[in-house]
Amino acid sequence: MQLSLNEDQTQVLDFIDSLAKPFATVPMHDVSLALESAELDEALVENGFLDVMAVEELGPVTAALVVEKLARLPFAIEAAASAMVRPLIDPELPRPLCLVEEGKTRKPLRFLRPGATVVVVGPSGVKSFAATEEMIAPAQEDTLYGYPVAFLTSLPESMTAHDVDPAEITRAWRVGMAAEAAGLLGGALDSTVTYVCERKQFGRPLATFQGMRHRLAEDQVMTNSVYWIAMRAAGTGDAGDAAMALLHAQEAAKRVCYDYHQFLGGMGMTLEHPLHLWTYRLKLLTAELGGRGAQGLAAAEALWG
Amino acid sequence: MQFEWTEEQDAFRYKIRDFLHANLPDDWEKFSEHGPASPALTAFAREFCVKLADAGILFPHWPREMGGEGLGPWEQQILAEEMWIAGEPRGGQYMNVNWIGPTLEKYGTPEQKARYLEPITKGQSLWCQGFSEPDAGSDLAALRTRAELKDGNYVINGQKIWTSYAGLADTCFLLTRTSDDRKRGITIILVPMDTPGITVRQIPSLIGEGDIHEVFFDDVTVPESARFGDEGQAWEIVGYSLRNERLGIPRFRLARAALDRAVQMLKDAGEFDSEYVKIEAARCAALCEAAGTANYAVVQRRVDGLVIGAESSSARYATVMAERVVCEFVVEFVPEGLAGASPYLKMHHQRGIVAGVAAGSAEIQLNIIASEVLELPREPR
Ligand SMILES: Cc1cc2nc3c(=O)[nH]c(=O)nc-3n(C[C@H](O)[C@H](O)[C@H](O)COP(=O)(O)OP(=O)(O)OC[C@H]3O[C@@H](n4cnc5c(N)ncnc54)[C@H](O)[C@@H]3O)c2cc1C
Repeated sequence: MQLSLNEDQTQVLDFIDSLAKPFATVPMHDVSLALESAELDEALVENGFLDVMAVEELGPVTAALVVEKLARLPFAIEAAASAMVRPLIDPELPRPLCLVEEGKTRKPLRFLRPGATVVVVGPSGVKSFAATEEMIAPAQEDTLYGYPVAFLTSLPESMTAHDVDPAEITRAWRVGMAAEAAGLLGGALDSTVTYVCERKQFGRPLATFQGMRHRLAEDQVMTNSVYWIAMRAAGTGDAGDAAMALLHAQEAAKRVCYDYHQFLGGMGMTLEHPLHLWTYRLKLLTAELGGRGAQGLAAAEALWG
Repeated sequence: MQFEWTEEQDAFRYKIRDFLHANLPDDWEKFSEHGPASPALTAFAREFCVKLADAGILFPHWPREMGGEGLGPWEQQILAEEMWIAGEPRGGQYMNVNWIGPTLEKYGTPEQKARYLEPITKGQSLWCQGFSEPDAGSDLAALRTRAELKDGNYVINGQKIWTSYAGLADTCFLLTRTSDDRKRGITIILVPMDTPGITVRQIPSLIGEGDIHEVFFDDVTVPESARFGDEGQAWEIVGYSLRNERLGIPRFRLARAALDRAVQMLKDAGEFDSEYVKIEAARCAALCEAAGTANYAVVQRRVDGLVIGAESSSARYATVMAERVVCEFVVEFVPEGLAGASPYLKMHHQRGIVAGVAAGSAEIQLNIIASEVLELPREPR
């Protein structure tokens, strides 16, 4: 067991920090529901941050660390699928990558746009295709999810079949989502803590009320433990760990999204405070891969057969 | 105890449903996605409430002296339920008939009653409620917007926030400070929103257009006769009116209706076969129904003419729990509903997520329950 960051990992994370600095806060007066930056995305690709998994001395834990770190930013970045799943399928697949469960194409797809690679994962295998304009329907303009989302209206006649085990892809997908959720949980927690320390009611900071302190402290416990189980799942490559990691992340997401919007009061309903950028992404992640029930069943299957 | 509605009450409910069916446009569901405070719905409500008035279902629960039919709290509840699950086609005018009208009747001067009640009964007025301020939310008594009496006029300076409907309202039910005595220094003034010196800014929000605003008052001058009640009487009056408001929104009903929709969508997609999903849906339904019944117990107290105390906080918190799980269920299992696939689910989500904040936050209800229901000793200060 060795749970501290190695030198390479520290370096990668520091580098990302400095590169992402201009993107650490929401631009003044921006009230977008889903915030993206092509510039940041390009910089990440150029510097190879989404390809660290294949680098021998870095590997899947570093990829998970990168995904977690990026998810803390208010900007939505398609990192988890590209950095943690794509290398197992075909590292050359064009980004963004949209992972879809076979037969579940009615759900809103994160980052779906013309040119995106859609990967369909299911019992019949792992297949992919490049999305074109005609197969995409936009989501409603004021969709709240914090990610750019769209719907797939049709599948092409032929798709590229990939010779990989769908179970292994689903495992990596779960880990990627858990790592992303860990970062979102961290970003949302920081943002909320800052607010309740500054905001005063009844002549004292909200953060001094014990009712709130205990809930926030439990939210920290969930956030911290999601981080660790996500990293462990990345490290062990175990199917049970992956399912538990995403299950725990989805449980945490449900809990904190409610708490944090409560703690911000009216401010939590505005687009002028960035909280929604993390919480509404988390909300959509609670639906990923069938939600908690599906993760629970997968974990039980892996643990006890 | 008896948990069924009477025949008359059922007939009343069906009368409202039939009316809605006959009078809401075909694309209503999509349309009602505009929040109740949006310009579109406000304009719609101005026509719709006239029709409701003509059909005798704008304020049938008001006493006969006020022109109502004296139907009482159960019917008020039924009316509110049917309107709210239909997406509240009355827009912000629901406040008029729930609490502004009755409060005007109880505390208004003859001049105020003459001026304000008629437009309400005609379905032609929109009010906003200027209570919260940037530094006075849960701690409402900390409000600072000042009203100074000068030569027979009140001159008002200060700022309100989160004011629903402010952008289109014609009158503000405004809380002002007239002396430093915390709760006893607060005074209500009825301020026409077109009075010079008022600036309204809409706040971009997660809950749709037109809902929440900042309202600035710069030397806003109104005659002394605009004061509502006595100086310092606001706390008492607001206590009275909020009791009416808390019963006003039957959120548990819409939550249940949204849940039923979500389940139907899952069935249609062939995904309501998992036991897990069924159990989650059932948990949601149980919370909605439990909250509903707890709310009905509060209505019963009104019917019996009893004082309504902290049991309304308990019922309200139960409603918050129900809203929470239904919002979560929809996001987890029918996420497409909020991205365009179901205007009804989107409408519910945007109204449901404010359940624990609007009209007083959930945590404050918990404090009330702890102190007044459980009679727990207070935290030492
Ligand atoms: C959609 C919407 C519509 C609204 N419409 C109106 C309107 O028309 N007119 C109007 O005047 N106001 C309106 N409000 C404002 C509403 O009444 C306030 O948001 C509410 O009272 C909470 O105040 P706040 O937002 O300042 O939150 P705060 O008071 O800052 O509270 C933030 C959080 O701290 C918690 N908290 C506060 N005190 C304590 C404590 N002692 N112990 C533990 N926790 C505590 C709260 O429960 C909450 O979770 C509206 C709000 C919303 C969201």
